[in-house]
Amino acid sequence: MKRLNVLRVVLLASLLIIVMGFPAWARTIKIGVIGPMNFVQGKGHWNGAIMAAEEINAKGGVQVGSEKMKIELVKADSNEFLNVTDATNAMERLMTQDKVDFVVGGFRTEAVLPMQDIAMDYKKIFIGCGAATKSLCDRVAENYGRYKYWFRGTPFNDHYLVRTSFSHLALAGAAIKSELKIPVKCAIVAEKATWTEGMVKAAEATIPKMGFELVGVWRPSPVATDVTAELSAIQKSGANLIFTIFSSSVGITFARQAGELKIPAFQVGINVEAQKDGFWEATKGMGNYVFTMNTYARGVEANELTRPFVDGYIKRFGEVPTYTADTYSAILHSLVPAIEAVKSLDADKLVAFMENREYLSPSGKVKLEKDAQGRPTHDLTWGPGYLTSLGVQWQDGKLVAVWPNKWKAAPTAPEVTYKGMVPIKLPPWMKK
Amino acid sequence: MFVARLYVKRLLTIVRGEVLVLPSRIVVALFFLVLLGMPLISQNPYLIRVIVLTSIFAILAASWDLLSGFTGQVNFGHALFFGVGAYTTALLNIHLHIPPWGSIPLAAAAAVLAGLIVGIPCLRLKGTYLALTTMAFPIILMGIVFALPDLTGGELGISGLQRLSNSLLVNYYIYIVTMLVLCTVMWKITDSHTGVIFHAIREDELAVRASGINTTRYKLLAFCLSGFFAGIAGGLYAHYMRIAGPSTLEVSMSFSVVIWAVFGGLATIYGPITSVFVLFPLLEFVRFWPEYRTMIFAVVVLLTLLYMPEGLVPWVRDKIEKQCPRCKIRNVATRKTCRVCTALLD
Amino acid sequence: MDIIITGLITGSMLALLAISFSLIFGVARIVNIAHTAFYMVASYCIYSLSAKGGLNPVAGMLIAVGGVTILGLLAYRFLIDPIREHEAAVLIATIALAMIFQEGVMLIYTGDYRTVSPLIEGFFVVAGVKVFYQQVLTFAVVLVILALLWLLLMKTKLGLAVRSTAEDREVANLMGMNESRLAMITMGLAVALAGFTGAVIAPLAVLSPFMWMEPLIMMMAVVVLGGLGSIKGSFVAAYILGFTEALVVFLIPKGAFLKGSVALSIMILVLLLRPEGLFGISFEEER
Repeated sequence: MKRLNVLRVVLLASLLIIVMGFPAWARTIKIGVIGPMNFVQGKGHWNGAIMAAEEINAKGGVQVGSEKMKIELVKADSNEFLNVTDATNAMERLMTQDKVDFVVGGFRTEAVLPMQDIAMDYKKIFIGCGAATKSLCDRVAENYGRYKYWFRGTPFNDHYLVRTSFSHLALAGAAIKSELKIPVKCAIVAEKATWTEGMVKAAEATIPKMGFELVGVWRPSPVATDVTAELSAIQKSGANLIFTIFSSSVGITFARQAGELKIPAFQVGINVEAQKDGFWEATKGMGNYVFTMNTYARGVEANELTRPFVDGYIKRFGEVPTYTADTYSAILHSLVPAIEAVKSLDADKLVAFMENREYLSPSGKVKLEKDAQGRPTHDLTWGPGYLTSLGVQWQDGKLVAVWPNKWKAAPTAPEVTYKGMVPIKLPPWMKK
Repeated sequence: MFVARLYVKRLLTIVRGEVLVLPSRIVVALFFLVLLGMPLISQNPYLIRVIVLTSIFAILAASWDLLSGFTGQVNFGHALFFGVGAYTTALLNIHLHIPPWGSIPLAAAAAVLAGLIVGIPCLRLKGTYLALTTMAFPIILMGIVFALPDLTGGELGISGLQRLSNSLLVNYYIYIVTMLVLCTVMWKITDSHTGVIFHAIREDELAVRASGINTTRYKLLAFCLSGFFAGIAGGLYAHYMRIAGPSTLEVSMSFSVVIWAVFGGLATIYGPITSVFVLFPLLEFVRFWPEYRTMIFAVVVLLTLLYMPEGLVPWVRDKIEKQCPRCKIRNVATRKTCRVCTALLD
Repeated sequence: MDIIITGLITGSMLALLAISFSLIFGVARIVNIAHTAFYMVASYCIYSLSAKGGLNPVAGMLIAVGGVTILGLLAYRFLIDPIREHEAAVLIATIALAMIFQEGVMLIYTGDYRTVSPLIEGFFVVAGVKVFYQQVLTFAVVLVILALLWLLLMKTKLGLAVRSTAEDREVANLMGMNESRLAMITMGLAVALAGFTGAVIAPLAVLSPFMWMEPLIMMMAVVVLGGLGSIKGSFVAAYILGFTEALVVFLIPKGAFLKGSVALSIMILVLLLRPEGLFGISFEEER
């Protein structure tokens, strides 16, 4: 009996070992998708990647020189919101156990920084699809030899985020001035987090220059469950425009309570929770007229690649893609064409090719930047004709796009309007 | 040549007489050998990474046990020392360009200071009050970290720290040897005069004071020692991950340390070390069920505690070893008579 | 005015949680880290029942509280009671239990944020401040529950038994009170209270699988400040810390995130002066 038990254990152990160390029998391109898989950001990573992989494999695979290779995705849960150590372990595992050729994904900057280091150690191309911190790309410029394998897939960096937000503010402020004919008083409400620090400072400096009066700055906790205190104070200050900078659950709380209390102010800015389809339900409809930055929206075309991607994603997954689903374009429009052009999987050759490309992705034209000294940063270029992202607004249960709509980045810049724009709407309770 | 053989023979006698007699000592010896010799079998970087991180957390867990298991001052805020160590070494390394050899000991000194800051108010508190108060400290520090983002990097932490060494193998050995040395030192402390006093303080502080020993000094000493080792662990962690972030101060880190230590067995240094080496790889191993990972971990801990409430290691030890009723020396459980005094083992 | 209202609401929520936590600790000497986790489970039950099941919110609340109580009793019976003598192990067991709840909730509901609709929508204006009806309702309900609890503890035989066991376990046992059964009843009562808090706060807050951590810290601060095992102490301390939080949020809008740290610092300061908390009973060293 004991012998049988021992035998069973040995069999089980060897089975486990075989399963874990199972090499791919056919030659495939292994792409690791790393992200917080239990959360919407990680799901976006995975969904986008799956769509891309299936599209390519349906065509027979990637033409690498003389052979066709299929794409094999490896899912890695970084759990980065809860545990940065976990994230680095997951990345290391992708490198050594799964032996991936490329990695896409990442979200939380604190985790992406060490993950980037690990990928660079192994000289594997890592396309970041979620972290906006500029320093990730500054490293490329400062230490090119080591960090050149890093590329930013999405979003554009935090400096550009701020500039886009100001364009949105300008649009909203103009609407207030023209429809309500009152001077614009702006309040800043930004969650207390490092990524908002720079934006708040920039906003404090720029808002007065836009002709608006800055009436106050509030910093609730990112997970605040009650902001009535802030809202009362904001109402007292007479603000009619609120510049919101939220990435976490406070976005829902703020929108909901502001809607319930019918605060006579227009919310514009960044509200990541408002980008999700579930926002309407989460705010019980009180989040109407909230305006936020977003990358994709139903019915909007930045170029001819947008609709196929967005519609295909909606059809398959039932919701609009978030920006982390840009793993789709990272694989389909960035990696694969590069591999086919260079005819090999060699990382150095690919890097050299990818650096100088300009190509179309569903959210706009991608061109990689160089810094002021001409060094490559592998960061995304922002601006009319390139990537601008969208401004979207909740109008009666639907998330529609209202920007860029006859937008000019500068007096001399070309005017930009994407297909599918609708006019912006002010909350009716402001017009009293 | 002859002298060498003599020493080898002596070593063998010692090994046969002292180490091989008890299963627990054999396990410890094997542990040392396996860790030191691991790179000869496999240099898989993922495996090395897991072992290095486990070692760092082993130092942390052992330092907690030194404080809370031995002197009974249950510390729910151990992440404070870890975080202080990590952030200090990061700041020193980045701003003052002190190499890790210097910054880690300095970080440990900072953690000792933190130990004093925590220990002094806690002198008056007992039991659960002490536990909950200590829990507050890392949270307050985390608030300060967020309030001064220019200095501490806010929630992004301080990144770009140097490695201890650029070779994978050398790095591994530095960490492993440090861990083994520090844990042996901690073990020796508990075996010494000071250690006995620590243990006594936990059992009955009034009696210790009545014996004329200044318990205040020893309690503070425990805080400082614990802080020292935990600070070193924090510094090592920061240099391995090359980033020092607020995740080192989180409540979940404090809780994890407590879980490891209690799971392994309080008031034994080897208990927490063993449990970290069991639990941390377990967490990694169950990666093939990514959604259920933490749940499996929690269930394992819960079930184990149901059946082995004293901790894993004391339970195992009791199964394989017996204590002689006369001379109190431990023997293998299969023996009939004590190996020292030949009394009958029940 | 806002300060007063926010302080009252926060204080009431903390009071409910702290008193129930104190109860368990006082009677059964169990530090129940999973306490706020029960609160979270109850909130999610309400969400499921009202959003998906379409049940009347009040009925949903009652079912949720009942369900959570049963869950708590089961957990106690099978997971905690066997190891009650080993306090450290009990502590870890409750942490593990809380983690299991967290993971379970995450698996069922995913990490997305959920909300529950309020029982009474709308708001009214008081002294220039907009107050939600739901907030007033919450406050009123909390007061009612607290009053009921006070009645139970002070005027009934069961309450007497609970109080005396809290003060001195062994003597109560000697006096003929079945100590382990009392512990179970108290546990059930306390978990029900925690569940009730969840039910009542759910419409005001955002639900996430991690919502149990923040109240846990504040609740423990309240309990320690008020003195372990003292109901009155928890009550008073809850409002003190609730108002502190409200003050911090209002007076330092840029430092609103510091409210946790400030509250905890106050707790430490008070403990320095009075190591048993404000109303705590100084425990004799149990030999």
